[in-house]
Amino acid sequence: MPKPAAETITFTLDGLEVDSPAGLMLADAAKLGDVEIPVFCYEPKLGQPVGACRMCLVEIEGIPKLQTACSTPVRDGMVVLTQTDRVKEAQEAILEFLLINHPLDCPVCDKGGECPLQDITMGWGGGRSRFIEPKRHFVKPLALSPLIAIDRERCILCYRCVRFSQEISEDYQLVLQERGAHSYVSTFDGHPYVAPFSGNIIELCPVGALTSQAYRFRARPWDVEGSGSVCTLCPAQCNVEFTVRDERVMRVLARDHAGVDDGWLCDKGRFAYQSVHVDSRVTHPLLRVDGELVPVSWDRALDEAAAGLRSAGADTGAIAGGESTNEEGFLLAHLMRGGLSSSHLDSRTGGTLSRDLHAALHAPQRQACVEDLEFAHALLVLDCEPVDDAPVLDLRIRKGIRRNAVKLAVATSRPSSLDPNAAAVARFAPGAGEAFCAALNAALGGEDTVVDELAAAAGADPAEVQALAAVLTDAGEDVVIVYGERLTHGPRGEHAARALLNVAGRVITAGHDGCGLLELPAGANGRGLREVGVLPNAGPGLTPVTSPGLDSGGIAAAAASNQIEALYLLHVDPLRDMPNRRLWKKALARATMVIAHAAFLTDGLWEHANVVFPAESYAEKEGTVTHPDGRVQRLRPAISRPDAVRGEWQVLADLCKRLDHDPGVLTGPMTSATLFAAIPFLAGLTLDEIGGRGVRWPERPQAAAWPQADGGPFGLEAPPFAPTPNGDLRLGTFRSIWAAPEVELSPALKFLRAHQRAELCPADAQRLGVAHGDQVTVSSNGSQVNAIASLRASVPGGTVFLESGLEQDSASELDAGLVEITRA
Amino acid sequence: MSHTILFENIDEPGLNTIDVYRRRGGYEQLRRVLSTMAPEQVTEELMASGLRGRGGAGFPSGKKISFIPKVNVDKYLVCNADESEPGTFKDRELMQKSPHMLLEGMVIAAYAAGATKSFIYIRGEYVEQADIIDAAIVQAREAGFIGENILGSGFDLSLVLHRGAGAYICGEETGLLDSLEGKRGNPRLKPPFPANQGLYQGPTVINNVETLATMPHIIAMGGAEYAKIGTETSAGTKLVSVSGNVRNPGNYEIELGIPSREIIFGLAGGPPEGREVKLWFPGGSSSPVLEPKDLDLPYDFGSLQEAGSMLGSGAIIVVDDSVPVVDVALKLAKFYRHESCGKCTPCREGTRWTVSMLERVDSGLATPMDLDIMASVQEQIIGNCLCVLGDAMAMPIGSMVKKFRAEFESHIEEARLRNPYGGAEPDPDPVLIQGAASA
Amino acid sequence: MIGRKKKQQAVQVPAAERGQNAVRDVPRPEPQRTVTRFGHGSRVPGWDDAADLTKDPAEIPDPATTPVDAALRAEIEAHMAKYPDFRSAAIPALAAAQRHHGWCSPEAIEQAACIMRLTPGYLSAVATFYDMLETQPVGKHRVYICTNISCSLCGADELMARMLQEVGDDPDFNVRSFECLGACDIAPMASVNDIYVGPVSLEDVPVLVEQIRAGTPPLPGKQLHLRRCVDPGAAS
Ligand SMILES: Cc1cc2nc3c(=O)[nH]c(=O)nc-3n(C[C@H](O)[C@H](O)[C@H](O)COP(=O)(O)O)c2cc1C
Ligand code: SF4
Ligand code: FES
Repeated sequence: MPKPAAETITFTLDGLEVDSPAGLMLADAAKLGDVEIPVFCYEPKLGQPVGACRMCLVEIEGIPKLQTACSTPVRDGMVVLTQTDRVKEAQEAILEFLLINHPLDCPVCDKGGECPLQDITMGWGGGRSRFIEPKRHFVKPLALSPLIAIDRERCILCYRCVRFSQEISEDYQLVLQERGAHSYVSTFDGHPYVAPFSGNIIELCPVGALTSQAYRFRARPWDVEGSGSVCTLCPAQCNVEFTVRDERVMRVLARDHAGVDDGWLCDKGRFAYQSVHVDSRVTHPLLRVDGELVPVSWDRALDEAAAGLRSAGADTGAIAGGESTNEEGFLLAHLMRGGLSSSHLDSRTGGTLSRDLHAALHAPQRQACVEDLEFAHALLVLDCEPVDDAPVLDLRIRKGIRRNAVKLAVATSRPSSLDPNAAAVARFAPGAGEAFCAALNAALGGEDTVVDELAAAAGADPAEVQALAAVLTDAGEDVVIVYGERLTHGPRGEHAARALLNVAGRVITAGHDGCGLLELPAGANGRGLREVGVLPNAGPGLTPVTSPGLDSGGIAAAAASNQIEALYLLHVDPLRDMPNRRLWKKALARATMVIAHAAFLTDGLWEHANVVFPAESYAEKEGTVTHPDGRVQRLRPAISRPDAVRGEWQVLADLCKRLDHDPGVLTGPMTSATLFAAIPFLAGLTLDEIGGRGVRWPERPQAAAWPQADGGPFGLEAPPFAPTPNGDLRLGTFRSIWAAPEVELSPALKFLRAHQRAELCPADAQRLGVAHGDQVTVSSNGSQVNAIASLRASVPGGTVFLESGLEQDSASELDAGLVEITRA
Repeated sequence: MSHTILFENIDEPGLNTIDVYRRRGGYEQLRRVLSTMAPEQVTEELMASGLRGRGGAGFPSGKKISFIPKVNVDKYLVCNADESEPGTFKDRELMQKSPHMLLEGMVIAAYAAGATKSFIYIRGEYVEQADIIDAAIVQAREAGFIGENILGSGFDLSLVLHRGAGAYICGEETGLLDSLEGKRGNPRLKPPFPANQGLYQGPTVINNVETLATMPHIIAMGGAEYAKIGTETSAGTKLVSVSGNVRNPGNYEIELGIPSREIIFGLAGGPPEGREVKLWFPGGSSSPVLEPKDLDLPYDFGSLQEAGSMLGSGAIIVVDDSVPVVDVALKLAKFYRHESCGKCTPCREGTRWTVSMLERVDSGLATPMDLDIMASVQEQIIGNCLCVLGDAMAMPIGSMVKKFRAEFESHIEEARLRNPYGGAEPDPDPVLIQGAASA
Repeated sequence: MIGRKKKQQAVQVPAAERGQNAVRDVPRPEPQRTVTRFGHGSRVPGWDDAADLTKDPAEIPDPATTPVDAALRAEIEAHMAKYPDFRSAAIPALAAAQRHHGWCSPEAIEQAACIMRLTPGYLSAVATFYDMLETQPVGKHRVYICTNISCSLCGADELMARMLQEVGDDPDFNVRSFECLGACDIAPMASVNDIYVGPVSLEDVPVLVEQIRAGTPPLPGKQLHLRRCVDPGAAS
């Protein structure tokens, strides 16, 4: 359903005429007339108002009873009174009722100073209570989860938290139990409330009933300052506000942006700030001396690194991890192409695409934005799991389905958490995205005879493919396809990209707003890094390069066979973030010079890095990142850098200078300006324009400078068949939201760290003699991974799923294809 | 005195089977409706009959059906058989003895409203009655009165009996809908009203058992004829459940507008030997109480409302002079506290607070000032809640405190004299204020 | 204070503390310090319970790891099929699970949740809302005594006390005072394993209890369905 536009109406508020968009709830419309109506249960983000707390009662002319302003839409000519005696009496009465149960322990309450109940009591309360009975007392606070404490004495039963769990995150774990005055917020049978978005309820609670275990009693509102920035832990790039006290991040809050996050955060984004301040953070330049990494001066580290690079020259390979900013990527490309004449640099983990395909996939006229997820007619989630790959978008997709009846089609290998919401679901063999897209394309084109053949190649059910195609064609004109970068990974990535473009050509009207493609890149700033030139085959702004270099896989292979001497690792540990761990182990071992920017010493760096530059945390960085939908967003330092940590743009610029290729930048903003000037479709952009809300470059006129490319339709060659399970199972991999070093390092989040488990279906498990919870080994071509067997009825037969991105036993130890499972 | 329409032959053996019901002319009105009347005509007859809802609110039933939008979406008819209002047991007798009358009424109402799916929400405690209805549904479906293409008319109606599980609030129409949708039975915010967005967000008519059971009779008689029974604003007959301190408790069918005294004394035999009526609830425990002086009020919607009470579900509860009014108030307040769903603040907290105040009154720990606070709390509840359950406590309690204030005050006084510590053991070892002790 | 609490042995909770209803066995966390208990409903089961952090989050149970009896599955699936939205079957499904397990135990709720593809949390929120769904173990003989206004005007409170006394601590009995059961014409009355009987005199109580123990029909002469309509006009 396309986003509706609202007309303007006029209503009378306490005798004054106020203009407001029609249909706005009175509680919101009153603000336009500078009147605040107190509310507790009302929170528009939570969907339809429930009218439960009764705090917002107002008088409306012509209606005998007082009405709840939170649920009454304004109409033209409505006459509203908010200051009459009747209203005041009602407000005082409701507050008196609410405070019957409330312990009034404000002096020792963590919410004190930023508590809506406190504020509203001061503003609207009668200042007295006639309740002389003893108040209720309970044991408090209690753990609701390792992250959240609950104080049931303080709860005013406003329903916000349970509504969040039920209607926003849809995890349905947090519920109200019992009835009437006995109702209390709880979970089933004492299970903890652990879910990817649980932390949002802390921000939603209008009293001190739900508090953050990590923040409790660390600061008071008057001790802290808020500092807006962007979370770079995943491609969703939520807008956040760091709560800072004495140069320490104490907490992360959402900074509501409808174009990005809709005001929610995932628990990784909310709690991983703790990793900024852990002792194991690298805060000095390190140099390997006699086999050990030791702290050295900046000059020494830079000199050694420059020397190593100079000697490797064009035999240097560089990888930029997803957390790198556009500026860092730009300078890295400058260093590599200019300083070292090497084009062996990449930011993609699974092989490159041709410049043309890249340009076609991300062309502005084919680009969907985040809000389109909410207002599309149909949405295809293709080879990705939003809750793992860009968590906050999962909430947006659910919202669209719930509120606007978006028709969801899910096409993935691994069962998706969105399956229950989908109008159609299709499964295909892991890695068979190309064949699947080809099959879908055939189904959309009505080439029914071909569908069966292609579906078979994809390991998919032709009927499912047809049903999926029907959803996409029948729903309406606005179709959005959200796909994972993994779809275009591997040696046949380009074929998959063409197949995808063919599908897009059939369901998406290029140039029409409200539809398009949206890629979820593997790295947080995956999109920006490619656009600033961290690709083997394209320079800044996707300009052609004369002699393309090796992509990430090629760099690993070349280093492993001694053809590449030096490796430059910007915010990446290939052992953790890249496929093919065995190859990378060899590559790192063989490289003579390994230079890394890192905040933590992961195993790979600990063992193999020669020079480590301390990396800034995202709370310290300045620069820009680009959201998957093309929104350029600005990072602003919330705290100063600890110890010897320097701005990384500066480190890169210093290295460039030492290699006689001075980029001529003296400050962070200057780097940004240089970058914008170098990229035609960002031309004229300024940090001011980006501001706190970001700018979608595809919407600017300069977007016309994006390179033109053929968007298809392409002739497709027959895709290869997915391997047939022959007792061994197909291996599918995924990276969970919790498979990140920040999670392992944050004390609060540690308990969520991902462990390897082998997900398989009961039938396969039975055949293999494996029971739920058994220890198993999964092996292929001589390498093996230990895992706990996890039986899931929804896993397709013949396939096993393992996690990647783990420190140990990561699925990247294994080759794609078939794997053998045995009980350990 | 009594006037029989619904209760005619109610005790005939086997009336709960389709054969006996049909022998008595059952389902003939349905046949007539489907073969000769358009849905609008049925609605018009209902409007003409002046029938008002028998479930509590007394809303004109024909009008309710006319509110259903004529749009092409799934529409629903829901029969409210939750019957949980204390003192009410009339629907039980109808469902147990003449289930087909209800079913026939439902199909007629559904036809008028254009509903194609219907449900009976019966309280979970009525197990026997639910079993009887289930059996009746099977028979009616076999006979072609429910299901697809009913009697060849092209009209389809499915019917599902849904058993509740014990919650008074599920009698409130929107609480009922939530419960029927498989949720906690919390009432919903209105608007939107069920006629526009009810069950599964579709237009929905909700009617009480008695209301629906009356419909075949209205069709039989013609609306205008039915309107002649009773008074101008309260047409027809009403089943009245009389209980409490009377000699012959039970259900009586009366013509609306007869004097209340006739029901309480004439039919139900009045209070036991040697007792006087102290107060009475004219329409279930939610109606403000009336006094003996009100016994001559005509028993109809308007007269009772003018007297400051209401006809409600038509359940008369008689309390005689041997019962302390505080006991009655406490019983009621505890009931509403127990049944408050907890969703909105004034009801959840107000019922709880009222109970604790009444408990203090009962144990002598209150002062007359507490009675003022109690009265004011009731006023703070009335009109400020999400549904009217809160009002349903506040109105009778408020009326009791007002009308029997003297008794409340003497109750406090007597209780204080009886147990000086409010029933608690005196502290054997009182801690004196430090300074005072040493001085 | 935050931390894991061990559930402890069952503690009897007086009826007064849970509205006017059930007598329930309530597992309680080990008291860590003396908390003054007030007689105003503080002791609601669950209020003082922390989450058990050793447990996994309660997501929708996976059929692969949640065995369910075939008959129960069939019954719940049949209920789900009756409604336009399967969620409507929540109460019937819980009632079925309760019949099967004796009460809505965590296991029963998990099984119902597994079949309905809902979280056990959703179903426990529903189960705790309704009086007839038991979320604590109870005896198999259900005796609901109406103690609402009309029945108590006719002696229901004495009946309740007498009944509790007669039953004593027999664990097979689930004697509860109930809100108006819709049979004030036979006040004071009781619903005995779903059969309404009344008026129940104090003398009837020992007989009734014996009949329940023996599994014979309760007070056969006083069952509601025998009662004729009292309305003189309803003669036939
Ligand atoms: C708290 C509360 C409880 C109610 N209980 C019942 C009930 O048990 N049975 C019933 O028919 N109506 C009950 N009602 C009235 C219904 O909300 C609704 O008005 C009625 O079912 C409409 O049907 P009618 O128009 O046929 O009367 C109750 C209302 C409230 C506020
Ligand atoms: S815990 Fe907070 S958010 Fe949840 S119901 Fe209570 S007051 Fe509202
Ligand atoms: S804010 Fe309107 S009822 Fe709560």
